[in-house]
Amino acid sequence: MASSGGELGSLFDHHVQRAVCDTRAKYREGRRPRAVKVYTINLESQYLLIQGVPAVGVMKELVERFALYGAIEQYNALDEYPAEDFTEVYLIKFMNLQSARTAKRKMDEQSFFGGLLHVCYAPEFETVEETRKKLQMRKAYVVKTTENKDHYVTKKKLVTEHKDTEDFREDLHSEMSGFCKAAEALNTSAGNSNPYLPYSCELPLCYFSSKCMCSSRGPVDRASDSSKDGRNHHKTMGHYNHNDSLRKTQINSLKNSVACPGAQKAITSSEAVDRFMPRTTQLQERKRRREDDRKLGTFLQTNPSGNEIMIGPLLPDISKVDMHDDSLNTTANLIRHKLKEVRLFLKNYSKTRFGYRIKWRIICGNDSTVIFFHFLVF
Amino acid sequence: MAQKPKVDPHVGRLGYLQALVTEFQETQSQDAKEQVLANLANFAYDPSNYEYLRQLQVLDLFLDSLSEENETLVEFAIGGLCNLCPDRANKEHILHAGGVPLIINCLSSPNEETVLSAITTLMHLSPPGRSFLPELTATPVVQCMLRFSLSASARLRNLAQIFLEDFCSPRQVAEARSRQAHSALGIPLPRSVAPRQR
Repeated sequence: MASSGGELGSLFDHHVQRAVCDTRAKYREGRRPRAVKVYTINLESQYLLIQGVPAVGVMKELVERFALYGAIEQYNALDEYPAEDFTEVYLIKFMNLQSARTAKRKMDEQSFFGGLLHVCYAPEFETVEETRKKLQMRKAYVVKTTENKDHYVTKKKLVTEHKDTEDFREDLHSEMSGFCKAAEALNTSAGNSNPYLPYSCELPLCYFSSKCMCSSRGPVDRASDSSKDGRNHHKTMGHYNHNDSLRKTQINSLKNSVACPGAQKAITSSEAVDRFMPRTTQLQERKRRREDDRKLGTFLQTNPSGNEIMIGPLLPDISKVDMHDDSLNTTANLIRHKLKEVRLFLKNYSKTRFGYRIKWRIICGNDSTVIFFHFLVF
Repeated sequence: MAQKPKVDPHVGRLGYLQALVTEFQETQSQDAKEQVLANLANFAYDPSNYEYLRQLQVLDLFLDSLSEENETLVEFAIGGLCNLCPDRANKEHILHAGGVPLIINCLSSPNEETVLSAITTLMHLSPPGRSFLPELTATPVVQCMLRFSLSASARLRNLAQIFLEDFCSPRQVAEARSRQAHSALGIPLPRSVAPRQR
């Protein structure tokens, strides 16, 4: 490692924690005070350097804390790295870049065993292959995201604004008319007629080749839509990087734990269920019970009013909660389906074994599902 | 990273970006220019903003800022370009706007981050299918990369090596290497790095 300065934490420029900017204009102040810095894919890395760790033998706790954000491939203390008195410096390598980004964002400036952590990326530890892979993944991600957006928006436009799209396609053949429409749409979507925007309104024609028009015929129509949905879209996309992969890892681990030995799971106490249970509706519950009973062909006639003879603990049913996301709904439905199967099995089992029907609700199954719901509720 | 905008909700992202561009145009303060440019460059990391950035011609703003005297502005501008150039539409725009010579100029910068961003941008600008743009693999550029590949900085070394292996043909590299012995070294290494000739 080349040493370029005697100051602490300044073996490399990008390790130095810059001063927070305090001269920002009001309209662009963020929620947290931040320094003026640009993050590119070169700077980001799966390697994180953590400075300011109190030297009280807490390496294990540190690694456990960071492991919350993703799998860690390796970690070690950097003894030669210049550090403040009574602090240590650690290097942690995550399995993937996204975990490292999340960990850095969450753990930077956090208090840890009485010290303030300073977390930064350490790309100088990467091998050539790791750097190459990082760049390729970034490129693939951008291409995939923009292609998905194009595909989705084109589909949407074809369905909702068929006429407009056709008109616009005719205009494509002549650049001038297309350009006029673009400028017009830009002005309307901007919402005000601001003359002082040389970069947006002047639009010199030389920058607008026909190739560009072909690939970006969407944006003109998109602009009016997206500026309205701008904030929501930002929320989904902005959070995409941070929350989505986190959710995905949790879904995967829970799916595995619930799906496999469901039938053998011990019945845990019901207090947990009471605490975490999401809301249910009476109608849904009664309907579900009716359907379950019908399927089993129970010897007890189910009363439409719901006066069934029941023995054993009666616990609330699993509610159908819409996650507002296709993949999550699919996963939730899968888990619900599996739980239904296990419940059916146990019902049959109790009927043959004990001679009467016990209404079991699988508490552990419910637990996992509600913890699952709990994690996903933001 | 990206700041949360504190503007009227219905103005939205486009309005916020527009306000940033306006401020960059009008302000006299170098600090404010740097802050706004850094803000825009960080927005350029997220593909969902590319439509707005193209509409507001932020790409041309970045390209113009590459010729600024203020090194920080150059660093942020090339960082912004590095962030958004993997996108096909953005790439075409940069190529049509004649951005390649400007980016190659950035290789001469004494600022290491600028050089790294410039190398990455050039790599992303290379068309797919390994049909290299002639400007990108001109002899001076390849020679520059050869020198970078001997640098003490691991990041610079790695990037230069990837450029030489993936974006240049072996013939070009051999030719540049043989010429290096004769021609004067035109492009200095970044200041923070001490070149080590082996």
